Amino acid sequence: MLSLLIWIPILTAILVCLCPPQHVAGPRNLSLVAIGLTFGITMLLVFQFDPISILPQFAESHAWIDRLGLTYRLSLDGLSLPLVALNALLTWVAVYCTRLDVPRPRLYFCLLLIINAGVTGAFLAHNLLLFFIFYEVELIPLYLLIAIWGGSRRGYAATKFLIYTAISGILILGAFLALAWLTGVSSFNYDLLQHQHLPLTQQALIMGALLVGFGIKIPLVPFHTWLPDAHVEASTPISVLLAGVLLKLGTYGLLRFGLGLLPDAWALFAPWLATWAVISVIYGSCTAIAQKDMKKMVAYSSIGHMGFILLACAANTPLSLLGAVFQMVSHGLISGLLFVLVGVVYSKTGSRDLEVLRGLLNPERGLPLIGTLMIWGVMASAGMPGMIGFISEFIVFRGSFPIFPTQTLLCMVGTGLTSVYFLLLVNKVFFGRLQVPIPAQMPSSLFVLPTVEWRDRAPALLLAILIVVFGLQPHWVLRWSESSTTALISSPALVAEVDKPTAPILPRVPAI
Amino acid sequence: MNQFLLQTTYWVPLYGLLGAILTLPWSIGLLQRSGPRPAAYFNLFMTSLGLLHGFFAFVQTLNLEAQEVLWHWLTVADLDFTFAIKLSSVSVGAMELVTLLSLLAQVYALGYLEKDWALARFFALMGFFEAALGGIAISDSLFLTYALLEMLTLSTYLLVGFWYAQSLVVTAARDAFLTKRVGDVLLLMGVLSLSVLAGSLNFPDLYVWTETASLSPTVATLLGLALIAGPTGKCAQFPLHLWLDEAMEGPSPASILRNSIVVSAGAYVLIKLQPILIVSPVASATLVGLGTVTAIGASLVSIAQIDLKRALAHSTSAYLGLVFIAVGFQWSGFALLILFAHGISKALLFMSAGGVTLNTNSQDLTEMGGLGRKMPASMLAFVIGGAGLIGLLPLGGFWAMREGLSSFWYEHQWVTGVIVLVNGLTAINLVRVFRLVFLGSPHAKARRAPEVPWLMAVPMVSLAVITVLLPLMMQRLSLLPGWTYLNQEAVAVLVISGLVGCAIGAGLKLNRSGDTGFYPVPKAFRNLLAYDFYVDQLYRFTVVAAVSAAAKASAWFDRYIVDGVVNLVGFASLMAGEGLRYSISGQSQFYLLTILISVGAIGVFLTWSLW
Repeated sequence: MLSLLIWIPILTAILVCLCPPQHVAGPRNLSLVAIGLTFGITMLLVFQFDPISILPQFAESHAWIDRLGLTYRLSLDGLSLPLVALNALLTWVAVYCTRLDVPRPRLYFCLLLIINAGVTGAFLAHNLLLFFIFYEVELIPLYLLIAIWGGSRRGYAATKFLIYTAISGILILGAFLALAWLTGVSSFNYDLLQHQHLPLTQQALIMGALLVGFGIKIPLVPFHTWLPDAHVEASTPISVLLAGVLLKLGTYGLLRFGLGLLPDAWALFAPWLATWAVISVIYGSCTAIAQKDMKKMVAYSSIGHMGFILLACAANTPLSLLGAVFQMVSHGLISGLLFVLVGVVYSKTGSRDLEVLRGLLNPERGLPLIGTLMIWGVMASAGMPGMIGFISEFIVFRGSFPIFPTQTLLCMVGTGLTSVYFLLLVNKVFFGRLQVPIPAQMPSSLFVLPTVEWRDRAPALLLAILIVVFGLQPHWVLRWSESSTTALISSPALVAEVDKPTAPILPRVPAI
Repeated sequence: MNQFLLQTTYWVPLYGLLGAILTLPWSIGLLQRSGPRPAAYFNLFMTSLGLLHGFFAFVQTLNLEAQEVLWHWLTVADLDFTFAIKLSSVSVGAMELVTLLSLLAQVYALGYLEKDWALARFFALMGFFEAALGGIAISDSLFLTYALLEMLTLSTYLLVGFWYAQSLVVTAARDAFLTKRVGDVLLLMGVLSLSVLAGSLNFPDLYVWTETASLSPTVATLLGLALIAGPTGKCAQFPLHLWLDEAMEGPSPASILRNSIVVSAGAYVLIKLQPILIVSPVASATLVGLGTVTAIGASLVSIAQIDLKRALAHSTSAYLGLVFIAVGFQWSGFALLILFAHGISKALLFMSAGGVTLNTNSQDLTEMGGLGRKMPASMLAFVIGGAGLIGLLPLGGFWAMREGLSSFWYEHQWVTGVIVLVNGLTAINLVRVFRLVFLGSPHAKARRAPEVPWLMAVPMVSLAVITVLLPLMMQRLSLLPGWTYLNQEAVAVLVISGLVGCAIGAGLKLNRSGDTGFYPVPKAFRNLLAYDFYVDQLYRFTVVAAVSAAAKASAWFDRYIVDGVVNLVGFASLMAGEGLRYSISGQSQFYLLTILISVGAIGVFLTWSLW
């Protein structure tokens, strides 16, 4: 069942490549169907999922390369379920809001599908090496997507992204290898490693590598500068995927492997992590205020909002971890919405510059509905009650406050700063008298913006509705994760009694 | 049936929300052929329905004990969100008042915004507004109240920014959102700490917790200050008062609600928080301090305004300052009474002012005059509203202030001085505005002004009648003391202060040159008041400058230091590659030497510990 989630997109990617070139719409429609199908399967899984159990569910295990300790081992738990669903949803949105006349559609959609498969695989993998493979699988397609379909400085941005993420990959691989070697286990299976115990110094060293590795992906200050560049140069659908899903690989990895496998080092580092979270939040928010490019502003706001997740992970209480998972979903939906909208504004006006655009709410000649949705998204991001952003942040703060009161309060200043920069955005771009860059040869009285079709609005509307629905009924997201996140912090020994490893312990291999 | 209506009182705010949702097809432009009016009718219908439902519920509450309705929203980990809704005569009555004023303001808006293309959007926002306000009235959970206060912040932002194409409106909307947001974020910090400390966020549980709570003085002080920050922003109290003045750029029907019940909602929350605030004497003292500063300061500032709506708006801050003082001294009765009386009279004053603004196309007091003969109904409304606000005739304001005077007659006597001063200054201001608008010879913009259309006149006259009948209602609700308990000295002081104020206002030499010169004081002082003590400048050079400097600094740091290092590393490695390229010379001796040195270095490194 879980394999389908990975292999349907990959098979479709091959099919897309085989599409005859005269079928212009073929690749897009095929991708929509394939991702729709995986989303449907995910929903099916959601309703078969047992939210009470803390055991990995729908497990699949096939031997792959025994000598390496690499097993094809997939399973789903409350931590990965919301993220898998989010991935399917946002990939669908990304495919849907791709321009109809995108150049080289076969390659484009093929790469998108591979990313989807890679990310899903990383969320499902219960073998460290397998996780690493999937983690790397999304790297090259994303590099190509930025480097081929990006903006004017795409080469720089794509290379920067590639180098950063490759370093992140090396560090993570190193940490995983060290983990396996130091514990002396011959397999990289997650549940096996979970029951090993390392001395604190070794844990701390591995933890350091993991923190930097995943910190690049999240991204945490000061490893973040690839993100604004990548966002600015990437096309809209890629930004949606990047902010909505790919960043979550970092926080997911920290939770799963940092907190899950190295609890002692985690406890040691936690106060520093909380402080780091505060720095990330305040730094990201402050920098966002000074940005002139809408996309850059949203990108820096991502840095700030991902910091909340680190705070929650550091606090490590049942509530805060639940909040962390919820904040991942919330940030995925909200930043997805914001990027979709910025994309529409850019495609209609040809600019994202806060100093150029004015008064886009104008009812006849502007983009009133897009502006309304933008206010909607911005308010969700600023933590307006009734929307998903508020309740997720509240749970994060409420869970973290008993452990790190000062850091939590400082992070809340970040939510205040969020309203500052997003309000500036709305006030400048959407309020005031209409003003857009006009092509040189056209008299300004004749210039009208291209009409916004319903197909431009549909993905944004979908996300906006989800943001409110989950804001009013957070239970619909939270219930799947609660037992898993609670189990994550209980000591491994406790889990061991409930969760006996099911995979056969492989014979010790002398060398890898 | 009646019990059912009572139990479902929480539907009343939902009616407003439903009305707002029903207007969506018109406000987003899906239905254009019918014009925006049907949206308004939907909203009016839903609000009337709410009013009716609320009325039956209110009648029920009068002869029943207060009830709680609990609603389980979310239970996660160790956190339980159970919302409580309180059905008492006070809470349901407050909700009913909100709905009534909202209905009147909506009918008024139908006339005021008759030609506005965005009528449907306005009504959508009003429905949303009404829902949030009604919800605050009956909510008995701090979490729910906080959420609704934020909804109120959002809808205030959108209502102030209703005419978003004008530059003044844009800044006004921004300031309204940000100043309130500052208060809200601080309040959220307080809510969060309370949630951790007390375990529950429902008011009854919090009250019980307060009685046994043992907090360190620092924590208690911080908690108290955080809790009063939210209401300070909402009630436009110093130092978060700027927004109310600027918000007068928005449409008048929204100003009616903003100056009467939105500020009252903040104060209402404060009154609900008051039993918790006793944990911190500092917070109570701060309340009194802020209230006093605002009451006197805003009363003075209002006298120097030449904008009709701003002159009235500053006096709103002043009255809310009195409420802050009352809550600080734990006289909730006085606070509620003054909110009630002020809310209705101020709404009436704003209805009158809105009509004047609409028909003269101006808010500038120096351009009006002589409107009394052309707009008799509006004039009458202004007189009644003014009389209801100040303590002179036995209307609402008089009874509220009398309550205040007798509360503070024996203890904290200086507060009576503040009340009397506010009363006198308000009287001066109202008489001054009245003379400028309705008396004298008409100026250019006032010459052709007609009386307001019936859609605006009907709510205005109804509210005038309500204002006149307010003392009767107060008596029916047994809010008034018997004659024997009347403190005659206090009454005398109050009436004299009102009379003196009116006399000074009537005797002031009016200057219509556009200058702020209304009274014989130095120009510098007049400007100080006219520009609201230059608080906005103060903010621009402190908070705003600090945030923007921090933003610029971090952006610079990010661009040149963090990213600079990254680019430097990249550049260095490229350059190193370029440089090493020339080492490929083809001479085997050189290769051998390189290998030798490298192996030697590795050898030294590996055997380092043995040396």
